[in-house]
Amino acid sequence: VHCRDLEIGLRHQRAVLADREADRGVREAERVPELAEPLPISLPAVSRHLKVLEQAGLIARSREAQWRPARMQADPLDDAVAWMQSRKATWKGRMDRLDAHLRRKGARR
Amino acid sequence: MSDVAATDVQILITRIFDAPREEVFRAWTVPDEIAAWFGPEHFDTKDVRIDLRVGGRYELTMVQRDNGAEFPVGYEIVELVEPELLVLRSDPMPEAGMHEPTITRVELHDHGSKTRMTLSDGPYPAGRRHAEAGWNAAFDKLTARVGG
Repeated sequence: VHCRDLEIGLRHQRAVLADREADRGVREAERVPELAEPLPISLPAVSRHLKVLEQAGLIARSREAQWRPARMQADPLDDAVAWMQSRKATWKGRMDRLDAHLRRKGARR
Repeated sequence: MSDVAATDVQILITRIFDAPREEVFRAWTVPDEIAAWFGPEHFDTKDVRIDLRVGGRYELTMVQRDNGAEFPVGYEIVELVEPELLVLRSDPMPEAGMHEPTITRVELHDHGSKTRMTLSDGPYPAGRRHAEAGWNAAFDKLTARVGG
């Protein structure tokens, strides 16, 4: 499971919750373009992310060929995404400082 | 454990630095240089000790600026190819919920006169609250420890 899988998973979870609230039945075939729409990735890529999430037990596929979160109320995805984002932010901050450090050294050369 | 890949998460970062690979490699492997950037934000880095060889130690202490709290971290160097590859295996930190080592892999590639660095860091357990009660607290501790 990578960061992008979790992003897709979180978007998916929110979409399913919104549809449930609105009492809409949405089939997987409609869901995938909806999840892909704001991201620079293809529809098959979204399907691959969903399969990774299924293998990790984070979502499940029902008999009606719909994806649904495996544990809707447990929000493991929210935790995982938030935590991964904080880890990633730490590394990005480091990389910014490494970049600044190298620029300072370059300026002295 | 066959399900590790499916249930754990990996951080992947790619950056381009306006410096040759040798410079970037030094920034990762010379103590004074590491101390200049490792941070994280609001942290200073001290006591950087590096035994630059495969099997050697890579240790440093992060110091929180506002309260002086110290967070030592240690790694073993598991792969080393100057100036293109550094792979570190972290010491497990069970008190922070990290019972297994994580691998930080830094690859440096020529990118014209610049350097493209890819960094992967993980695996970090995630998304298994049912199996990992208390992960949130562990994550908080770890975040405090690493200053995330």
